[in-house]
Amino acid sequence: MACLEKETLSGRICPMAEDELIQRSREGDVDCFNQLVERYQREVYNLSLRMLGNAQAAEDATQDAFIAAFKGISKFRGGSFRAWLFRIAANACRDQLRSLRRRPTTSLDALPLELELDRHTPSPEEYALSRELGEEIRRALSALPADQRLAVILRDILGLDYDEIAQATASSLGTVKSRISRGRARLRHHLEQYRELFP
Amino acid sequence: MFKRKSQCQQLKGMLSPYIDGQLSPTEVSRIEGHIQGCDACRGELESLRATVNLLHRVPMVSPPRSFTIAEVVPKQRAVALGALRLATAVAVILLTFLFVGDALHLFDGGLIAERYIPQATPAADGVLDTGGKPAEGQGYVWPVRQTELALAGVVVTLAGATAILWQRKRRGKKALGAN
Repeated sequence: MACLEKETLSGRICPMAEDELIQRSREGDVDCFNQLVERYQREVYNLSLRMLGNAQAAEDATQDAFIAAFKGISKFRGGSFRAWLFRIAANACRDQLRSLRRRPTTSLDALPLELELDRHTPSPEEYALSRELGEEIRRALSALPADQRLAVILRDILGLDYDEIAQATASSLGTVKSRISRGRARLRHHLEQYRELFP
Repeated sequence: MFKRKSQCQQLKGMLSPYIDGQLSPTEVSRIEGHIQGCDACRGELESLRATVNLLHRVPMVSPPRSFTIAEVVPKQRAVALGALRLATAVAVILLTFLFVGDALHLFDGGLIAERYIPQATPAADGVLDTGGKPAEGQGYVWPVRQTELALAGVVVTLAGATAILWQRKRRGKKALGAN
């Protein structure tokens, strides 16, 4: 069954509503599920990348997450689909982390993190400082316990609200607040010595 | 006696939700009242805010490829794989039983061979009347070795088919997302 975008009375093509895509995906419609994949793959990939710090592992985790989501979509009981997807992605990241630990030749520190700069054409010095700071952020993130890292990434990099994070991590709101607070405090402590590099 | 935490320590854990606007108005006014007169907490709040702002600058990277799903793994393959696994297990158990039985000479004289001994037919030409018992050397000998070899062949075939299906299933899982 093809899952096409809807044509409105005015003749305008509009994308299908998320609820309808989910419903059709539940019935086994791969095309509809792929529309959901296209909507969320950027966020899921970035979550995996920041959790794992390794591009290849992030790719694998993202793919595993979408396959698991398709297989388990009948278990989705409403609420935020994005949060549900992030929960599956977080589990896929945990599996990848275990796998990376078993293969110590694959470095967790493989991918440099480059910060966004205000100016379009940064000077070489600004660029170098940004790279150095990005590297420190990446190092500080990878040093966090996985649950705090996940909470901080979801909040400060992906911009989820506290309720969505609670759903994505299957935790209470209090636990989410505490993880974000402790994670940020550790990051602050780690990055304090590079304060002069801050933009 | 309980040691009372200083007000600074109590408020420290509230700075992060304060930045995110997650505190009640009472808590907000408590924090704002405190940081006005406390340089250390004000400094910590600024430092925490700078860290959060820094994290906001971590860019969203474009995925290197699409993660759309290419095909659905057929359920029939999973059923076939399960059946093959079961058949292989049964064949291995039978083969093991045969080997062990053969090694312990269970089939030579007693256990199974007796049951396959045909009734002697006194009327048949060239057969001695042995009173209903088979003549020496004429009892049916169960071909244990041949059975073992045949069963070993079945085990190898089943195991091979199982391995091929399992490999295809693994490749199929990858192909599912290899769009």
